[in-house]
Amino acid sequence: MIERVGRGTVRAINAVGRFGHFVGDMVRAVPDVATWGRLTIVQMRRVGVDSLPVALFIAAFTGVVLALQASYTFTGTVPLYFVGTLVGKTMMLELGPVLAGLALAGRVGASMAAELGTMKVTEQVDALETLAYDPQSFLVLPRVIAGTAMFPVIVALAILTGIVTGWVASLVLLDLSTQEFIKGLKLFYRFKDTWFGLFKSATFGFTITLVGCVVGLRTRGGAEGVGRSTTQAVVYSAILLLVLDAFWALVLLR
Amino acid sequence: MRRENEFAVGLVVIAALAVVVAGALWLSGAHLGKAEAVYTARFRTVGGLSVGDPVVLRGVRVGRVEGIRLAQGNWVEADLKIYAGVQAPPKPAVIAASASLFGEWAASLVPLEQLPNDPNVRQAIAEAVAAGGNKWPGATLPDIGQLTAQASRIATDIATVSSRIQSAFDSEAVLELRSSIKDFGQVANRIARVTNEQANVLGSVGQNLQQGSEVLAKAATNLQVTLGRVDSATNQGQLATILNNSAATSTDLRAASQDFRELLDAAHKNQESLVRVLVAADSVMSRIANRTGTLGLLVADSTLYRETTLTMIQLRQLLSDIQANPRKYFTFSVF
Repeated sequence: MIERVGRGTVRAINAVGRFGHFVGDMVRAVPDVATWGRLTIVQMRRVGVDSLPVALFIAAFTGVVLALQASYTFTGTVPLYFVGTLVGKTMMLELGPVLAGLALAGRVGASMAAELGTMKVTEQVDALETLAYDPQSFLVLPRVIAGTAMFPVIVALAILTGIVTGWVASLVLLDLSTQEFIKGLKLFYRFKDTWFGLFKSATFGFTITLVGCVVGLRTRGGAEGVGRSTTQAVVYSAILLLVLDAFWALVLLR
Repeated sequence: MRRENEFAVGLVVIAALAVVVAGALWLSGAHLGKAEAVYTARFRTVGGLSVGDPVVLRGVRVGRVEGIRLAQGNWVEADLKIYAGVQAPPKPAVIAASASLFGEWAASLVPLEQLPNDPNVRQAIAEAVAAGGNKWPGATLPDIGQLTAQASRIATDIATVSSRIQSAFDSEAVLELRSSIKDFGQVANRIARVTNEQANVLGSVGQNLQQGSEVLAKAATNLQVTLGRVDSATNQGQLATILNNSAATSTDLRAASQDFRELLDAAHKNQESLVRVLVAADSVMSRIANRTGTLGLLVADSTLYRETTLTMIQLRQLLSDIQANPRKYFTFSVF
């Protein structure tokens, strides 16, 4: 048992070390703009633009559900215009970034882990190295930069979609006027609400893409390993995303 | 393919940027392109007022709270951004107050001469004005939390008073109260009985009064008869005689009163003489009392009294001796 604990500790330290080594290699690849610059736009399209429908779909239904639940909670106790406050605040501060992040962790993180894992097990990564291409600047940096840059964009549009669908639901289903919804929406608005959500989503994008790349590039064992890496990428991304969410709330909202 | 990617990414990024910028500006109520004036208001405390809260003038939003900071002299300064085109009152005061029950606060601009009739607000404004400078004076109204806390304190006091009343009215007090009520009932019964008796007395008095009235009526009838007789008597000259007699009597009375008046004058003169005598006597008595004059000296000097007494004794002895031996003192010779 003692040996098992020792082995686990060593493994954890090794993992941290490998991750630090990986991040160090990535930072060292940053000056190689010629390589990652042209590839980043492709990743931005794949990570950002192509992920937009999923994020907006989730946000749209989230807005509707939020409006209905707020109305259900407030009726009889709190003025109904607070539906606007709750929809706006919740979408901007929490549900917009987190739900979009979780959805993209499944889509983007899994996709990256599978892609890079397949490249790893089929020795394409080794081939790149043989051809003097740095995998960090060729594979990792474009994805991480694209994820970090495009996540706030996706989240901003998702927040807008959630608020709009919440407003429509309030008008159609709750007998709430536009003026009342806007009054509630503007009631407690602070500019911090906006930048906090976008900043948080940028860190989510960075984390999800980095985890996808790390897990994908250490894939072993053929197709089975690729499947395992894909699952791990999604699980790690989701966990880290929620931990980061709590961390930023503690750091920035207190 | 590459251009397509660039276009798609660029489009999405621009759309997101537009959403973020426009949304933030709209939600925060910012007025771009218009010159906004910033004024500073001075408070002792700003209560729940925070950055971004609306500034209202007569209920209309005319700006927002731009910043809040602690200042020297235990003041809090709040920067109020007023939208362009808004004319603030010439001498404004700022009242920070809760705008609803749900924690919203607003800063209201009111003319200094139209402050709410609240002594605390007026005192706070006067204090802020006295601090000088060109900062707007500010005061804070208590929010619903403070009011409910005050109400809670009042309720607690009422509960304490109720508890004390309850403890004062214990079972013994209730018994005493019941006994008092019983006594009061007895007293009321007695009063009722006495009242009934007095009512009977009053009834008999009324009856007597009625009888008296009847007697008076009879007397009036008799008087009327008498007057009739008087009236008939005047017809035979008896009344003239009576009047003549009365005139004579009156003349006699007048003469008597004249004599009486003269008598009074004489008495008055005698009174003056008497007063003079009394004044003289008073003077003599005063001199005696002051031991001046012969009598005074006689009164005061016991030696003189004794000598006088001795002289009188000797005189008596001399008279006795003269009576006993007259020839010793008197010699009569005819020839």
